[in-house]
Amino acid sequence: MKAAGLVKTWSERDVYAAAQERFDMLYKRFDTVVVSFSGGKDSTVCLHLALEAAAANGKLPVSAYFWDEEAIHPETIEYVERVRARDDVKLTWLCLPVKHRNACSRTTPYWYCWDPEQKPLWCRPIPQGAVTSAHWFRKGMTIPEASPYVYGRQYGTVCDIRGIRADESLRRLMSVMNRMEENWLQGARLGYNYPASPIYDWSVVDVWTAPMQHGWDYNRAYDLFYKVGVPFNDMRVCPPFGEEPLGALYRYAICWPELWDKMVRRVPGAATAARYSRTKLYGFGDQTLPEGVTSWREWCQRMLVLYPEPYRGLIAAKVASVIQMHKNKTARPIPEDTADPLSGLSWRFLANLVQRGDMKGRRQGKLNDAALKQMAQQGFTLAQLHAMEHDVSTRY
Amino acid sequence: MTSAPATESPQITDFSFQPVSRVEWVHRSELKANDYNPNHVAPPELDLLLVSILADGWTQPIVTLPDLTIVDGFHRWTLAGDPRMEALYGGFVPVVRIQLDPVHSRMSTIRHNRARGIHGILPMAKIVTQMIQEGIAPEAILEGLGMEDEELSRLATQVGMPELAGTMGFTKEWTPGKKPV
Repeated sequence: MKAAGLVKTWSERDVYAAAQERFDMLYKRFDTVVVSFSGGKDSTVCLHLALEAAAANGKLPVSAYFWDEEAIHPETIEYVERVRARDDVKLTWLCLPVKHRNACSRTTPYWYCWDPEQKPLWCRPIPQGAVTSAHWFRKGMTIPEASPYVYGRQYGTVCDIRGIRADESLRRLMSVMNRMEENWLQGARLGYNYPASPIYDWSVVDVWTAPMQHGWDYNRAYDLFYKVGVPFNDMRVCPPFGEEPLGALYRYAICWPELWDKMVRRVPGAATAARYSRTKLYGFGDQTLPEGVTSWREWCQRMLVLYPEPYRGLIAAKVASVIQMHKNKTARPIPEDTADPLSGLSWRFLANLVQRGDMKGRRQGKLNDAALKQMAQQGFTLAQLHAMEHDVSTRY
Repeated sequence: MTSAPATESPQITDFSFQPVSRVEWVHRSELKANDYNPNHVAPPELDLLLVSILADGWTQPIVTLPDLTIVDGFHRWTLAGDPRMEALYGGFVPVVRIQLDPVHSRMSTIRHNRARGIHGILPMAKIVTQMIQEGIAPEAILEGLGMEDEELSRLATQVGMPELAGTMGFTKEWTPGKKPV
C-alpha cells in the first residue's frame, strides 16, 4: 500500500464541476483525448463531459472506441449505435477476437468473442462498419493489452479516459489513493498512452444525476436491470461469462431470451452455470467436504487434477503464490478449516480458489478479512501475532 | 401449436392410447411420494399453485407409476389435502399411470420439472402494465400472479434510471489528502 495515510478529503465544489475542470485540462495537455466507451453508465458520463470540454477547446468531434464483446445486451448495441450516429462523436467500433474469461467451464476457461473459427456460434452478426482486423491485433490479446494500440503512437500523447470509480471496489479506490496531486492520472503505457479516471470520485447517484439534470441519452439496459431487481450499485454492462458476473448469468435468460438462446451454446458450461452458478458447484457460498474426501487439502489436490493443461499449471501457480504469501507472513502450517490469523489462509480457502478456477485472484481481498476476523476471535493483536513469529517457544 | 392439422400429417382420430385419455380419479390417500424428487417449491410458489388449482380447477393429471408412486405432481398431491381443495374435490385427484422402470421414472420426474421455459422480463412487464391500465386492482394482480409488491412495482415502473436514481444533487469532490491531525 503506497502512501498509506492518505484519506478522502472533501472539497467545496461538486463532482460535476471538478470533472469539468479535469476534462478541460486533459484536452489542453494531451495531443489526443479518447474515451474508452463501454456503453455503460460511467462511460456515458465521460463521453458527455468530453463533449463539453472538446467543444470548449475547439476539438470536436470526440474520439471514442468501443470494444464490442459479442454477447452483449441489445439495449447496449442500440445505445452505442445512437452514439455512433452523432456528428460530434467519432466512434471506433471494435469486433476483434479478444480473449475473455469463461468461468462457466473447467475445460474451456477462456473464450474469444468474434472468433473467426467459431463464426456459426456467434451470438449476432458483426455490425456494419466495425473494425474486424488490425495490424496491431493478434487473437488472444486481452482488452487492457490491446486498448493502447487503438489510438497508437502516431496520435502523439494519448489520454485514454475511463469511467472507473473508486466506489466500485477497494482495488479501484486504492488505484486513486496513491498521491495527492493528479491521483486520477496514470503513467504512460508504451510511452505515449496515459490512462485517466477523471470521474473517480463520482458516486452511483452522481452518475445518474448527470443524465437526469442534462437529459442525456443512456443505455436502456439499466431500466431492465431495475425491473429484475438489480441493486443500483450492481448494475454493470460487462462480459457475461467472467468470474464476477457469473452469478447473474440467469438474468440473461429472463431479460434477453433471444440472446440467451445463442449464449447458451456460445461457450461450454453456460447452461450449467446459469443453473448452478450461485451454488456450491461453482464455489458459491459455504462449501462442505464431499463424502469420501477426508481433508480440504486432499480436495484441493483432487480438483486441481480435473483441469486440463495449461490451466492446471496456471491455477497451481496461483495456489503456490498464495501459499508463499502465507509463508512470508507466518511459520505456522496452513490450517485445514479456520483461517490463519495472520495470513487468513486455510486449505478450505484454497479448495474454493481451485474450484472457481480463479486465475486472476479476484477473491484475494477475502483473505485479509478472514485474517482480521480470526485475529479478533482468538483475541490477539497484530503486534502480538508478529511477536509470536519471533518467539521460539510459540513457533510450530 | 396449430389447431388445424398440416396437410402431410396422417389422419389420426383415436387418442385412447395416450396417457391423458386414461385419467382416473383416485383418492389422495392411495398415492405415495417417490423417494428421490429433487424439485423444491418455495412457499410463495406453493401458494400460487393452490391459487392456480382453485381458480382454474384441475387442468393436468398427476403422473404416477402403476402402484401410484408419484412421478410428477407431488406438490399438487400435497395441496389436495388443503381444506379448500377437500371441499371442492373430496380428496380426489386426477391420475394417469405410466409404466416406467426405476431409472426412467427418475428421468421422467426431472424432465417434467426441467423442460419448461423462463418468462422474459419485458413481456411480463408489458402484461402487468396492461392489466393495470385495464383497471385490475393491484391486489388482484399480486394474488393472481403470486407476486410481491416489490416485483409488481419494478415491473410496472415506466420511469427510467436517471429519474429513479438521479434525483439528488451532485455530491462533493474528494481528493486524497493527509489525515487531519
